[in-house]
Formats: sequence, structure tokens, C-alpha cells
Amino acid sequence: MAAFLLKRFLWMVLTLWIVFTVTFFLMRAVPGGPFDGEKQLSPAIKRNIEKRYHFDDPLAVQYLDNLRRAAMFDFGPSLKLEDYTVNEVIAEGFPISASLGIFAMVFALTLGTTAGIVSAIKRHSAYDVGFMILATVGVAVPNFVLASLAVVVFVFQVHLFPAAGWGTVRQLILPALCLGAPFAGYIARLTRTGMLEVMGLDYIRTAYAKGLSHRRVVLRHALKGAITPVISYLGPATAGILTGSLVLERIFAIPGMGSHFIEAATQRDYPLAMGVTLVYTFLLFFMNTLVDVSYALIDPRIKLG
Amino acid sequence: MSAGTPSSSNTDHDQAAQQRRRYEELLREAESIKGVSLWQDAWRRLRRNRAAMISLGFLVLMSVSAVLTPLAPLQSPMASDLKNRQLKPPTLAAQTLTVGEQSLTDALQKFRAEINALKQEIASAEGEQKASLIKEVAERERRNHPYAALWHHPGFITSRLIDLRMMLFGNYSIPSICGSDGLGRDVLSRLFWGARVSLIVGIVGTAVSLLIGVSYGATAGYCGGWVDNAMMRFVDVLYSVPFIFVVIFLITILSQDDIKREYLEPYGIDQIMIFYVVIGAIYWLTMSRVVRGQVMSLKHEQFVDAARTTGAGGMRIIFRHLVPNVMGVVIVYLSLTIPAVMLFEAFLSFLGLGVSPPDVSWGLLINEGVQVITPIRTFWWLVLFPGLTLTLTLFALNFLGDGLRDALDPRMKNR
Amino acid sequence: MSPTIRKLFPYMVVFVVVGAMGWALSFGTLPKADFSFNNGTEPKTIDPAKATGSPEGRIINALFEGLLRDHPLDVPPDASGLTPMEPRPAMAESFTLSEDGRTYTFKIRPTARWSNGEAVTADDFVWSWRRFLHPATACIYAYQLYYLTNAEKYNTSVVEVGDVVEVELPDRPDEFQPFPRGTLLRGELREIIKPPKPEPIKDAKANAKALSKWKETWAYVVAVNQQQRVDEIQDIEPTVRVFCISPPKEPGKLAAPAKIEPCLHVLIDFDTVGVHATDKTTLVVQLNNRTPFFTNLVAFYPLHPVNRRCVEKYGTPNWTKAENLVNNGPFNMQFRRLRDRVRLVKNPEYWNAENVALEVIDALAVPMESTSLNMYLTGQLDWSTTAPSAIMPELSQRDDFVRAPMLTTYFYRVNVNRPPLDNPLVRKALNRAIDKSIICEKVTKGGQIPARSFVPPGLAGFKSGLAGDFNPEEARKLLAEAGYPGGRGLRKIQIVYNTNEGHKMIAEVIAQQWHEHLNVEVELRNLEWGVFLNTLHQVEYDVARSAWIADYPDPNTFLDMFVTDGGNNETGFANPKYDQLIADAASEPDAKKRMEILHDAEELLMDELPIIPIYFYVSVNMVSPRVKNFTANLQDVHPLHLLRIGKSK
Repeated sequence: MAAFLLKRFLWMVLTLWIVFTVTFFLMRAVPGGPFDGEKQLSPAIKRNIEKRYHFDDPLAVQYLDNLRRAAMFDFGPSLKLEDYTVNEVIAEGFPISASLGIFAMVFALTLGTTAGIVSAIKRHSAYDVGFMILATVGVAVPNFVLASLAVVVFVFQVHLFPAAGWGTVRQLILPALCLGAPFAGYIARLTRTGMLEVMGLDYIRTAYAKGLSHRRVVLRHALKGAITPVISYLGPATAGILTGSLVLERIFAIPGMGSHFIEAATQRDYPLAMGVTLVYTFLLFFMNTLVDVSYALIDPRIKLG
Repeated sequence: MSAGTPSSSNTDHDQAAQQRRRYEELLREAESIKGVSLWQDAWRRLRRNRAAMISLGFLVLMSVSAVLTPLAPLQSPMASDLKNRQLKPPTLAAQTLTVGEQSLTDALQKFRAEINALKQEIASAEGEQKASLIKEVAERERRNHPYAALWHHPGFITSRLIDLRMMLFGNYSIPSICGSDGLGRDVLSRLFWGARVSLIVGIVGTAVSLLIGVSYGATAGYCGGWVDNAMMRFVDVLYSVPFIFVVIFLITILSQDDIKREYLEPYGIDQIMIFYVVIGAIYWLTMSRVVRGQVMSLKHEQFVDAARTTGAGGMRIIFRHLVPNVMGVVIVYLSLTIPAVMLFEAFLSFLGLGVSPPDVSWGLLINEGVQVITPIRTFWWLVLFPGLTLTLTLFALNFLGDGLRDALDPRMKNR
Repeated sequence: MSPTIRKLFPYMVVFVVVGAMGWALSFGTLPKADFSFNNGTEPKTIDPAKATGSPEGRIINALFEGLLRDHPLDVPPDASGLTPMEPRPAMAESFTLSEDGRTYTFKIRPTARWSNGEAVTADDFVWSWRRFLHPATACIYAYQLYYLTNAEKYNTSVVEVGDVVEVELPDRPDEFQPFPRGTLLRGELREIIKPPKPEPIKDAKANAKALSKWKETWAYVVAVNQQQRVDEIQDIEPTVRVFCISPPKEPGKLAAPAKIEPCLHVLIDFDTVGVHATDKTTLVVQLNNRTPFFTNLVAFYPLHPVNRRCVEKYGTPNWTKAENLVNNGPFNMQFRRLRDRVRLVKNPEYWNAENVALEVIDALAVPMESTSLNMYLTGQLDWSTTAPSAIMPELSQRDDFVRAPMLTTYFYRVNVNRPPLDNPLVRKALNRAIDKSIICEKVTKGGQIPARSFVPPGLAGFKSGLAGDFNPEEARKLLAEAGYPGGRGLRKIQIVYNTNEGHKMIAEVIAQQWHEHLNVEVELRNLEWGVFLNTLHQVEYDVARSAWIADYPDPNTFLDMFVTDGGNNETGFANPKYDQLIADAASEPDAKKRMEILHDAEELLMDELPIIPIYFYVSVNMVSPRVKNFTANLQDVHPLHLLRIGKSK
């Protein structure tokens, strides 16, 4: 276990470094710069700003300097949110995206697995058809359409939720549901497929033969075997969901991280773009490792290597 | 057999070659039998799946109508009428094609008469005057053609299709049964023309992702060891690099004037083609993972060993033996990629990295629709119809994907 | 893997999930503010010197206060709903203007206090303006103070032989902070030793860079006679010393009379810049010329003072944090949540605190128009600064919809270097083929005004020079005159715009009109924001959409953009006559004559048409009926400290 984690850790460091390098040079190869604006700066002022942020150094020097500071988790000041450092931006945005993501994920998992199990057990029943159509709708309707419609219905027709904003639990529910909907649909379908495969296997038959109750067989034995595809899907999905969604954050005016991914890039805020990219890389790696560990915990046949 | 004289080695060689040829023949036969039966079997099973077949029919219909859109008696997708038709709900009021004040047939007639007059002049003209007249005709054909205003300078094939449409339906066009948009354009015809862009994005983008993803994944999976490790780490890296920068970078590089002139324009590649390819270039990552996993589980199968004993090289094994065997999984995954690519196009267009007007895509139409959902007044037809088309298409792709997965499942064989 | 761990695993998962949900719910709820409004986007900074946009302006005007402050006149609104604004005494209780119109003397209000209780002094203004002008602070708006004597020289680091200069040694405690500063040396500049000038490079951008690098290798020979460490000034034995910003690697290369010392800046001595504190409460400002709009500038937020102790103690970016900030405006910042809200609370130290009605204000950052409208309609906002254009006709029927003209122009830049657009006749034809009234009526729908001039109407004493109006017949004639009868021979013209639904619709309409009336083939290209700006700066387009917001209520803010090689010209337009007119206007003492010269300049601009004006913006606000004292004005400025909450209806 320890050896596995150590190996993973080393891989992660290497990946982070490569991502850093690729992103660094890619950002600077793209036209436009952080100090371009609708109002053109005078060359003298631009030169001063560039000097202040060391943009006039040769690229290699900048690269090494940034790498050295990034290695100490210091991404420097944001170029476009001038009152903040990148670390502060992430520290403010991440918890919000994360808490929204956790709710969305819990909702997606609960609804998805339940629907999947019910559909699998009552195959070809009205439940099955209904759930699977719902799941497909969840996957197929773009979530910004879903969110816009949800606002009209649940805010203005039925006065259930506030229109937008952040700070109370009621404000959290609608965006979490919209964010979780496609994941719920996907999980439902994965669970159903997994369950259908497992239910035909010998060990389930053995479990029934032992006289265990239907409920116990399904929840303790079958689910364990059926859940693996869901878990491997959960890794990258969680990393994505925790880092937020631009469109939903805009529609619901939520101050999460998703907007930073896009805005830092479109405004060429190099340090912020780098910061959020590395956070995402880390999360992705962390989640994938977690998935591998959970595999080994659920299925005794799997060895960590 | 010992390595002896050249002559004996030659006969050895011949024999070996003969033997190999025979093996190969056998192998080919075996493969062809197996291949045919697998696909036939899958098709048989797929045909029994009603949802999948309806979906397939729907998709085929959609693609055909997208291709033949110019032939359909639709209104112009770009002629706007701000004064009379802005944001009008669906209606059955008849509409005809008009250019300015006159009907399209009249305009066409007038235009053709002008051109013919000019052509007659050409026949009687000489030398320099003739050349300039020829130029004038060409210029007018392009600039003053009545189609230019209604279909934004359609290409040759599209123009001929429109000619045919004019012959079949004249000025008649389907009323605005899906309403009209903020600039007074017919939503129905925009949906049809948008289908062309959206479906092409879906198909080309996915095809590019297929090409890169399958070859990359299969190579990594087959080679294994450190090659595999390095190749997969590279995929990890690309997963994390912000896609916006990648897209902007690729588009900028590919639309630089000198590169465009030298490498792209001679082959008729334009901005939008570049965009399709760039999308594919982003979407191959998951595909390569899926393929790699499959290849790794297949590469110790006997048929691979058999191919190797017959002396097939790595490339040959990968592309002739392994890749066809993972196609089942790949096809299923493709049915999931196409919708994702179509939504991604919508997102990129929303960021300003995608299609520009007068080209239109479903994603853009939905974006326009979503912007006017307000509690004070909702222009429901601007969301409903594009949303419905996109959702139905994605629905169909999902069902078809499910059906294909079941049909291609080896455990379901002969059931 | 031990079986115990395996057994515990499901419980661990449940535990983690429950814990995570508990944590997610732990974000406490806030007490409601008296008044919430949508501030548009997240303010980039609340440092007055560095801010440039209107969301920033709203917050800064609440937190800080300048010598003067824009205040609505106590008259009923005019026909278009406008209440004129005038700069009124704020931190200054009064001011006087000298005969020649070049010296302002401001008397600081004795009751003016910083939020920490310290008195606001004239020195605070001198220091703040110095920081604002210092090249290291690199303020975009620094040119707002160029009307002061020597301010431009100070800001752009221009020095001449004979000037008294200040040399800053490279001993700053923190290199990243423009302040606190290193040791300053003062003395007369004797000579500038310049190494050979680099060969000109073809690429303009690279050339400018090479030149500014070259400038940094100049060696300055200075007769130093004064030294300043922080605030301690001491006269020293006059010595001739040589300074250079980036000294040559080999010392022998430049023939200098003394050893070359490195330095950070060589600037003209700030004492020669036209701002001085003669005592604690008197601030004297000297201008180059009579500047009629100077009082407007003084009321503009970049010139608001900042607290020196606070800036020096915490530095950038920490001094603007809610817990550190020291300010002098009607409100204090209680906290700021990035991209969520800035919460303002009444500042008890404010000199006029008894007349500030609102206790707690939330300035929310809601970038999406429809979301802002939803929040307004459900009572989450009392004031929305935007509204979706699609339902403008419906909204404008409502009583709570406030609309007013604004000093902002939407226009298309035309690249005058690219044929066929280099021909003014073609540009005129394009202008006359655009039906601007239908764009305003059917596309923007907010009551925008079709534009025939670049300077918006409403500026007192100014008469605009007009471009041709919509007339397809004339347009075709003009195009034929240019050599393209019926559009024949004209190449495809590309319109670029940054991605936005509104820009797209306008471009589509214009493309159609050009095609319909002139037979011009038009290609539209939407560009991502960064790429768009780059395209604009490099002047690599045919036609590009643009907009310009007045910095101050005077035609000059619009017209001086298009002088040859002006920073914001970006069209390639170069006309010596135009440059001359702008220069004449700047030095013309008589206000009426000046306006006439500016009128001539605009007439010339509208005749050459390097830009095609499309429409003038209107400000659109939705304000809850319970909010009182909300007045519409040209600048779209609504001082928060004047607002009151009354009973609705």
C-alpha cells in the first residue's frame, strides 16, 4: 500500500511538472497578453507593468522562476484580480465549488444507484423504462437548458427556491440538482448494466441458495460487484464536478471556481490559469488514486501495483 | 534444419514462405468467416431492438435531410425581416421566397436575362472587351446572384440543389411553424441548416478522435511496458492542460495567413474545417484510454500469437488484428462521443471559438434561446425547437449506443 | 489490505460523505443588507489609482472620496429624464481658481477623517497623486493628471538636461511594491550619455521594445545635492554621480565622468510637478493650460486619495483587504467575497455621516443579465444595472425602469490602411448603407440613439460634426464614384467582433444591409476576447466593432483618440490637419473657441470616417420603487450615500 502510494505520488509530481511546462509555454504562445485591454496602455506604462511582473525576462528565466515558486505552492498575484493572489482566489473559490459539487455528487449517487438497482431488478417493467428514459434525458439535455427551465419553473411558477446567489442551503439546492442531473443519469445506466451482469453470476445464485433474503443479496452481494464501473467513472467525474461549471455558476450567480478556468484563460491571467490548472491536475490524480484504492478495498482479488 | 549452404537456405526460405502464405490464407479465411458472422449476428440482434432501430432510422433521416436541406422548400435561413417578423411565435401564415420587393423566381429570371444579354455581348465582342466582359459575367454570377442574399453565396453543389428546389417548389416555402428569431429569421430553416454544421461537427470531430485515439491507444496497449506508461502519462497531461489554450493555439497556428495559403487553401480547407479537426484533436483522449484497455486484454489471446508466429510486424498486428477486434467497444463509445462533441461545439461557439454567422449550429441556436428565457416574457419557441432537436438526436444516439453494446456483446452471441 | 480496513470501508465512505455534507452546509447565512444591487462583474481592484471600470467606480466612490464629488443638481429631471451632475465640495470644503485659470487652491475640510480617525491632509493628496503618477505604479488612467505641470514628464520618465531630477536607488525593501521606496537622490541633470541607437526593426512592436530597452541603458550625469530616506531629507555635499537603469556589463564601454551606479528610476523631481501642500489643509494645483473640465477630473475616482500609512504598511495586494483598508468615503468595507459580494457598512468617521441613510449595502457581482433580472424580480436585488435586451420593450413599460442617455458610443473601426477601405468614398458608402435607426429600434431595443457623430449629444456647448445619414441611393453613388459600381470589383470585407449575442446580431444586420444596398460581400468573424484585443491592437482587421466610454464629460475624451499613432487610434488613421486641430484645442484658452475647434475636428473625422458610428448607449437601470433619490444622468453615476429607502409607492 505504502509503496503504491509512493509510486503514485512520484508519478503525480512528474505529471504536475509536465502539465506546468506545457501550459506555461502554450499560454505564452497564444496571441494576446494579460495587459491588453480595450483601452490601449502607453508603451512606457506597459513596460513598467511587465517589469514589475518580470514579464521582460527571457522566457527561460521566467519559466524557472515560476517553477521554483510553484513548487513552494506560491503562484504569485493574479494579474486581473489585482487585490488577490492566486492562492487566495483558489482558497475562496474552491470550497464553494466543492460544497456544491459534494451535494451534486451525493444527489447523483443516491438517485443514480437507486434507479439503476430498481431498473435492473425489475427489468422491462414500467419502472425500468421510466427510469432509463429519465436517465437518458439527464444525459441528453444540456445542463444550461435544464437550469434555465428549472429557474422559470421552480422560482417563478412554484416559488420554491430563490433565483440565484450563494450563502444559504435553499440557494444551493437548485444548482446542485442541475449540476448532478447528467451524472445521475450516467450512474443509473452504469449501475443497471453492472447489476444485470452480476445478477446472472454463480455467487449470487449461491447467496440465494444459502437462504439469504432478496434484499440482502442485492444490497450486500450484487451491488458490491456491480459498483466497480461506477467507481471508475466517479474518479474523473468528481474531479470535474469539484472544480465547478462555468455555465451553471453564471446562471445561478455562484462564486465558484468554474468561471476562473474560463475567465483566467480568456483574459490571459497567466498565474491564475496556471494555478487552477494545477489544482485540477492534482484533483484528477488524487481522485484516480482514490478510485484504485477503493477497487482494492471492495474487491479482494485486486492487488495494488 | 541447420543453417547450411546458400542453396539449402533458399529452399528453406521458399518452404517457409510457402508455409507462411498458407497460414496467412488460412488466417484470412478464418478471420473473414469470424468477422462476417460477428457483424451479421450483431445486426440480427440489433434489428430486434426496437428502440435502437427507431433511433437508427431517426438518425439516418436526420443526416439525409441535413444533406438535402437545400432541396427542401424552406425559407432562407439568413434573410432577416426586422420590421415585420421579429420574434413572432409559430404561425401557419404562408411565406414565399423574396429578394427585396420581388419574388425569387422573378429575380432569378431578371438576373438570368441580364447574364444572357451579357453573354450575347461576349459572343459579338472582341479582344480586350471580351475578356473584361467575361470577367464581368463571372463577377455578377457570384455577386448579384439572387441566391447570394438568401443563402450566403452557396457553393456549386448547393446552388444546383437550390436550382432543383426552385424547379420543384417555385417560390413556395413552408410557413414559420417554428416561429422566427430575434432578427426575424425562420427558425425551422435555421434548424435544418444548423443540422448540417452540428452533424458534421459530430461526425468529423468524432472521426478525427477515432483516428488518433484508436491508433494511439492501440499502440500503447500493444507495446506495454514503459512505452505504454509514457504514452498514458502524456494522455494524463493533456487531460489537464486547459483546452481553451489548446483550441486558441491550434486555431491561431492553422489560420495564420502563410500556413493557410500554403498548406490549407490548395486543399479547400477553410476555417470551419479547422474547427472540426481541432475538436477531434481534443476528444481523442478518452477514446485512446478505452482502446488501450481493450487491446491490453486482447493482446495475449491466441490469434495475436498466431499472427506473430507468422511473422507479422507490430504495426500489422495492431492495425490488422487488434483494432478490428476492439471496434465493438469503440462503436459504442462513439455513440457517446458524438453528443459530447456536439455540446462542446456549442460551448466553444459560446466562448467565441466556434462557428461564425451566417453559419449556424444547434448549439448556437439553443444559446440564443436560453438567453431569452425570462419570467417576464418567454420566447418559448426559440428554446423548445432547437432544444428538442438536439435532445432527440442525443436521445437517439444514446439508444443506438445501448443497442449496439448489447448487440456486440460477445456473451450475447447467438442469443 | 487487511480485512478490518476492508470491513470498515463502507462506514468510512459514509463518514466522509456525511462529513463533507456537514462541511458544505457550514457556510453560515448572512444577515440581510438594507440595500443590494448588482454591480455587474467582480471589481478588478478597489485601489482608486489602478481601477478603470464602472463596477470598480461604484465601490470606490462609496469607499473613498476626492476633493470634489459629483452631485445631482437640485432641479427636476429634463425631458430625457436626466438630472445634470456637478462636482461639489467633498474632502475640500472650498476651492478658488486664479485669474488665468491655471491655479486651483483647495481648502481641505477640517472635519475630513480617515476611517481610522486620522485627519485627511493636503499631504495625503500629494502623496496619493505622486503614487498615481509614478511610473512604477503603472496606472492606466495616469493621463488624467497630465494637465498638471510636468506630470506627463514625471509619468513617462522623460528628463532633459538642466532639469532637477530625482534618482531612486535600487534599495527598496520589497521590489514588488511601488511603495515604500528606496533612497532618493536629488540634483540637477548635467548630461545624458547615450550608447549607439539600435538599428530600427521592421516589426513596430519589437522596435518599440528595443527602443525602450535602449533607453534604459542611458547614463545620467547628475550633480547630487540632496538625499531622502523615507521622509528624512538632508542636504549633502554636491557631488557629480552617474546613474543608469541597466548599466553595461563592461564598465569601460560608456565614457562616464564617474563610476556608473545602478538605479531604478531617473525622473523629473516631483517638486516641479504642479501639486503642492502649502500647509496641512491647503492644496495648490498648477495646470499647463486653462482646463475647464478639471473639476470633473478631480471628482473622478482615480484621483481619490489613499491612506499612505495603510498602503506602506500592508502593500499590494494586501492593503485593499477589508481588515486592512483605511478609507475616507461614506462607507467602509465589512468584507469582500470574490465574485460574490462586497459588503459595505456606514463609515461613522465620514464627515457627512449624519446624511448617509443606508447602513448596510451589498454590491453583488452577477455577470449574467437574465440572472440579474431574476434576482431583481424576486426581491434579491433593489437595483439591477443591466437588463436583457430581448425584453426591453416589455421592461420599458414598467415604472421601475430607468433609462437615460450616456456618454458612450458604439462604433465600427475601419482599417484605413487596407484597400479598398483606404478610400474615404468606400467608407462613406459603407456608412450611408447602414440603417442605424432600425438597429436601435429592433436589435438593441433599449432606446439607444442612432449615431451620426462620434461624440454623443448632451455635452454643453458642443455641436457635433455629422456624418452622412442612411441613404442607400447615395451610398451606391459613392461606391460607384470610388470605382466599384454595383459593388463589382470590391473584395470580401470582414467584420470582427468579440463574442457577445448583441454584437453578433448587430454585425449580422449590418452585413445584410451592406449586401442588400451595396452588393458588398461580408464575412463575419467572432473572436475570443484576448484574440480580439490583439487583432485590434495590431490593426489586423477590415472592420472591427468597438465602443468608447467618456472618461470625463468633454468631447476631447472622444476626439483625441484619433491623432496620428495615438494609443487608442487602432485604425491607422493619420491626418496632420486633424492632429493640428486637436493640439490647437488643447491650448485654446477660450472655452467657446475651443469647442468650435473640436467641432471642426469632428467634422473632419466624420468626413474621413476611419470609424463608423452606430449608436449612442443608454444606461438601463431597474430600481425598486422603495429606493429614493435615484437620479438618471449622463455618466450613469449613482452615489450610494445619497440613496434612501422609503416605503414603496
